[in-house]
Amino acid sequence: MTSIQDLPKIDLQAEKKAKGFRKRSPFFYVGEVLLWMLLIIMAIIEFAPISWLFANSLRDTKVAYNLPPSFWPTDFQWINYYNVIASPQIKFMLFFWNSMKIAAAVTVGTLLTCSMAAFAFARLKFPGRDVIFFLFLATFMVPATVVLIPTFIIISRMGLLDNHLALILPALTSAFGIFLLRQSFMSLPEALMDAAKIDGAGFFRIFFVIMLPLVGPGLSALGILTFLGSWNALLGPMLYLRSNDNFTFPLAIVVLQGYMGTGNRAQVLAGIMISVAPVLIFFLLAQQFIIQGVAISGLKG
Amino acid sequence: MSAINSTEGVTGGAYHKKRGLTYRSYETLAGYVFVLPAVLAILFFVVIPIFIAIGLVFMKYDILTPPVFVGFENIKNIFKDPRLANSYLVTVKFVLMACIINNVLGLLLAMGVNRAMHPAFKYVFRTALFFPVLTTSASLAVVWSYLMSANRGVLNYLLSLVGLGPVPWLSSTSFAINSVVIYDVWRACGYMMILYLAGLQAIPRDYYEAAEIDGADRFQLFRFITLPLLSPTIFFCVVTSILGASQVFDNAWVLTRGGPVDATRLIALYIYEKGFKAFEMGYASTISITLLLILLTITLIQFRLSKKWVNYE
Repeated sequence: MTSIQDLPKIDLQAEKKAKGFRKRSPFFYVGEVLLWMLLIIMAIIEFAPISWLFANSLRDTKVAYNLPPSFWPTDFQWINYYNVIASPQIKFMLFFWNSMKIAAAVTVGTLLTCSMAAFAFARLKFPGRDVIFFLFLATFMVPATVVLIPTFIIISRMGLLDNHLALILPALTSAFGIFLLRQSFMSLPEALMDAAKIDGAGFFRIFFVIMLPLVGPGLSALGILTFLGSWNALLGPMLYLRSNDNFTFPLAIVVLQGYMGTGNRAQVLAGIMISVAPVLIFFLLAQQFIIQGVAISGLKG
Repeated sequence: MSAINSTEGVTGGAYHKKRGLTYRSYETLAGYVFVLPAVLAILFFVVIPIFIAIGLVFMKYDILTPPVFVGFENIKNIFKDPRLANSYLVTVKFVLMACIINNVLGLLLAMGVNRAMHPAFKYVFRTALFFPVLTTSASLAVVWSYLMSANRGVLNYLLSLVGLGPVPWLSSTSFAINSVVIYDVWRACGYMMILYLAGLQAIPRDYYEAAEIDGADRFQLFRFITLPLLSPTIFFCVVTSILGASQVFDNAWVLTRGGPVDATRLIALYIYEKGFKAFEMGYASTISITLLLILLTITLIQFRLSKKWVNYE
């Protein structure tokens, strides 16, 4: 008898717990408060340098050095930006164009070579396929630092020093990208390709017209990561580019930081802001997209 | 049914016949053509360079004059180079600190952002925490070098407001490496957060609900559900962050140029200095091969150990 009476009681309690009515331990609230504090403090720490950068890039160059610092723009000396852009010695717009050109070429090239190879590895049967794919996976393990010197020797033998091709050619494919996109191609239904084959489409048609548009998320993830990698690179440009006219943005900022001197710090900051702004704007517009892309690369990689 | 579903039977239409090929050879040809660009790129800029790097181990080469065979001299020198030993020590310190902080902080932030909260809050937190990842490492390091400057730096000013003495962020041999770690964490922990967030969101909610009904507390939920189910993500993040951190160049270069007195001379900076400033390319290559071997060993050990703690469903 007692056991039957007990039954509904237990069920009720379980339902209460599931709906979150149950009494939480004090431990729970402490953890909750700590997590919130961590979030807020870290968000401030992560955001403050960028807002300081923006605020000070707009300060009068004479007081940009002064303390207390401003983390919010109080002055709006847009002339700093104008001076940077219009400066005769420092061709910021040229650097901008150089960076953009290299990053765009690298991104398009990487997407093309990676998606083609990934499609072949995922969907075509040919002798040696698995061996070649395994070799690609093995190169995945090679740190970029290790091939730095030999690549430099190859590039200089090719006579490409101080040429943007020196930065584009070595970056034209990525084992990681092939791996990522192969996963995407493998998740597409097999029947899709068979239908196209029966209709008499060649593999190039099948690839460009049917398969490629369907791996959009993988492509955009790889594209964003590749573009950022190239746009932000410092070491490659430092090694290969010699003349000022060929400089990319990061290199220009690091090298010219010295020339500009401390007197023009607001202008250095304005220059940095110009290099950060396109990424910032793109990020604010396509945040969901970018974060998704980064997450995909992590989950599948 | 099986005959219809089988893909083996589908050999396509007339396309290949126009070219006078059998279907098999057409597919083979297409396969090679598709992988060719990637194969060439990898061949010229990864495979051949590795062999060159191995060859250079036995050479003395300054890029201007032809390489000279020196046998095992470079390898012997490695064991007699106190700067190299110091550089590895600095690198180990940096990698340990950066990886631990980035991974722990990344996971905590991901757990923070993953909770139920107003979408606007979520947006603000995610934007603020993730944006530094996208910025140019070199440019923002310039900003941080201003913030960290000893006399008129913003950080020391803020510390002085709460009565803390000036910290020699970049000018002290004992502290500079911490500053490089701080900058690295500032830039990378948002990236880790996103990776962990994706891992957390892939865990089915039912598991938590079921465990809560069984009376599990918050710690138990974390210990027995989150951790095991997140273990593939943790493994991926730890492996990639070790590989990444042991090759960091930009951060340290812009903040300190490796100084003061080699205190932040990470291994990538040392290879750069030996190869491209001193033009001892043979020796620099030897160092880079040691790095390759060390990273390979560490990664293999991690994969071995992962069988014990990583749950793949």
